[in-house]
Amino acid sequence: MADLTWLLAGAGGPRLLASLGAEILRVEWRERLDFLRYMPPFAPTKKDEHAQAGAMELSSLSKDSVQSVNRGGYFNDINAGKKGLSLNMGHPKGRELFKRIVAVSDVVVEAFTAETMRKWGLGYEQLKEIKPDIIYIQQPGWGYKGPYVKFASYGPIAQAVSGLTEQSGLPSPHPPAGWGYSYMDWSGAYYCALTMLCAIYYKKRTGKGQYIDCSQVEPGIYMTGTALLDALINKRPSQRTGNRSPNTPAAPHGAYRCQGDDRWIAIAVTSDEEWRALVRVMGQPDWTRDARFDSLAARIINQDALDRLVTDWTTDKDPFALQQDLQRAGVPAGVCQTAQDRIERDPQLRHLEWLIPLPHSEIGTWPVKDVPFHFATATVNQGGPTERAAPCYGEDSDYVYGELLQLSQAERDALVEEGVI
Amino acid sequence: MPGFLFDVKVLELADEKGEFCGKLLAGAGAEVLKVEPPGGNATRSLGPFYHDEDDPERSLYFWHYNFGKRGVTLDIHAPEGTALLKKLIAECDVLLDALPLDTLEKLGLDWDALQQLNPRLIYACITPFGRSGPWRDYKANDLVHLALGGPMMCCGYDPKADGSYDTPPIAPQMWHAYHITGNQTFIAIVGALIGRETHGNGDMIEMAVHQAVSVCTEIDVPNWIYNQTACYRQTGRHAQPAVGPDVQFPTQDGRYSIILPNPFPGGYETLVDFLDSKGQAADLKSEAYQDAADRRGRAFATHFAEVQAGCVAAFDMEEIWRDAQSLGIPWSPIRKPEENLDDRQWQMRKTFCEVDHPELDESLTYIGAPMLPHEVEWRTGPRAPLIGEHNDEVYAGQLGLDADEMARLRERKII
Repeated sequence: MADLTWLLAGAGGPRLLASLGAEILRVEWRERLDFLRYMPPFAPTKKDEHAQAGAMELSSLSKDSVQSVNRGGYFNDINAGKKGLSLNMGHPKGRELFKRIVAVSDVVVEAFTAETMRKWGLGYEQLKEIKPDIIYIQQPGWGYKGPYVKFASYGPIAQAVSGLTEQSGLPSPHPPAGWGYSYMDWSGAYYCALTMLCAIYYKKRTGKGQYIDCSQVEPGIYMTGTALLDALINKRPSQRTGNRSPNTPAAPHGAYRCQGDDRWIAIAVTSDEEWRALVRVMGQPDWTRDARFDSLAARIINQDALDRLVTDWTTDKDPFALQQDLQRAGVPAGVCQTAQDRIERDPQLRHLEWLIPLPHSEIGTWPVKDVPFHFATATVNQGGPTERAAPCYGEDSDYVYGELLQLSQAERDALVEEGVI
Repeated sequence: MPGFLFDVKVLELADEKGEFCGKLLAGAGAEVLKVEPPGGNATRSLGPFYHDEDDPERSLYFWHYNFGKRGVTLDIHAPEGTALLKKLIAECDVLLDALPLDTLEKLGLDWDALQQLNPRLIYACITPFGRSGPWRDYKANDLVHLALGGPMMCCGYDPKADGSYDTPPIAPQMWHAYHITGNQTFIAIVGALIGRETHGNGDMIEMAVHQAVSVCTEIDVPNWIYNQTACYRQTGRHAQPAVGPDVQFPTQDGRYSIILPNPFPGGYETLVDFLDSKGQAADLKSEAYQDAADRRGRAFATHFAEVQAGCVAAFDMEEIWRDAQSLGIPWSPIRKPEENLDDRQWQMRKTFCEVDHPELDESLTYIGAPMLPHEVEWRTGPRAPLIGEHNDEVYAGQLGLDADEMARLRERKII
């Protein structure tokens, strides 16, 4: 697969295919590197050395500010399992070389701005001439068909326009809280991956390649379907409900403050049976016998009072001990876990081996998030065929140009000289 | 036009953990047969409801997550029901199982038995926490999964000036734990289908919602791995090690816009010219800020954000963002889901579709496709099955049961 993507929404799709065993050739050029190559956190150069932690501001990042473009921890995770080659697509000879890569690829995936590939003479029609059964996936922000073809999208934009941001947060007059990460970058990656896989399956069955316009925004819209139906049929505009259950009767249902700095536990009681179990764990305080709380319907009406009383009970409790007590009694509950909790403490994630150590040629071996699916027979993990985390810049150029494309050393030297590779 | 998975048959035994995955498979062209207990799946009791009628045939949740599928009823726990289930499994390519933990194993249908029934079967089993491990029996719902998996601690509102929080972490609503799981299970299933084309064998896929959600956060995990640095949630933007500049500002009509910087060379100048063209550049065109060196530091960032906030506040939410975007400035409205219906972009792409509900004598608008393929079709109908709607078609037509048997199974509430 020829991978002309970057950031997460684009680069995350091929990452998932690498985990399934695909050979991903990630094309990069030193003059227009992926921001993630110089975005913190970085692997420390010396033991015990920690980089300065600061706010992430894409506009202030520069590749000149880092000592190496191979030390970004986030890049390492998003590009695990890929091969990396340097190729100047802006150079005519670079584009000729790219055509030779297309000739040995099943899939071309790109996330350039509109028309870039066509201007380079590498639109679907041209790619098909090189490889008649090529699968060509374009991953633009808003889609290549439609008036917004030139509009930019990043995770926060896709979340905002699709409706996901508006649906996250405390009820008005609080503003939307939105998403604290680029959920639509991950979702964009999932849809990029599943589109490629669907097209590969179709090609296995029919021999035919195809072209797919896989926008980042539409998968976000796709996930809002119930709210859309509710708004259209019941004339009920979408509203935020905080952590309360929007459509299924449940109370208490929320995040409750616990002992410690910014520690919270989520509790979700959806039935009388779970309510009785919660009451038992709370030690059957008098207030639980109040008529305001004696049925699910009553508890929902009196949620404000109920939430205050539950919070009074949780506030001085250790969240992890509480989680265990509640789960043992059959109450759905879980700590609002931080990254540290998940990495250092969560016994289930450890059991599932959610992080796997993968070697990197410059920074050594670091944990990378594995894919969450486990197969009985197939060998699947995020190291993929490289058995390695992300490539260093141009790390596999020799393999691609020498072994795969069979260019002589003299030819390769000349291309380096001309600024093509 | 056929779909991507035009020759794939899926048998779905799923609650809300797996229905979204089945919906995707149907959308991609697979023939998905949903098996529900007699009387209907529990997910039919999830709201909201059509005209607020709390009725298993009126759940809008069920309609959205099950359109494009066919449906039969079957009491899989009754011996006769189990026997029929085995026949259905023998004829399918993919078995999507998101039933309560161990349900099929207790019926004698563990992976070995399933393989004997159908050696080419791809068996995808979704559980909340995994089929083994210390939390295997933990109970969860969408909220609890988003808490344990990490998204909640990334989402919420700014801390107070002293760094403490007076608002809780927030779980974005809409069943995202199951969306995340469905997307990734789908990827594993199609991966297995491709593998089967090569080696001919089926496979079993295990998917834990907890792990799927836990790998779906962004920089919090690498920040801890590489620097042991925590990320802090903040309104409308990435949780990160320090509070970053605001990106979400109120508009004149009381709504909100997202304003991101254009990170490319010249991005700043384009933005200032744009603000100026709207009469909203304040003093940004003055000498004081011409040199990039004078635009470094927190004080300028704060001022710059205030100027942009002033611009947004002078317009209605839908009024200004397209002009910005046409210049490469990444701004967007914060829309409610239903507000996308009026957008020409989605009308041209046929993102929404009309779906017939003949029993209501009505056609309703649904979200159709998450992408735009050109050589194949993303399935956009028919509406979700009624309870047992395809019993005759499947049991009589496909499995060849005669009228007497069908009547007896109905009477004994097996189907």
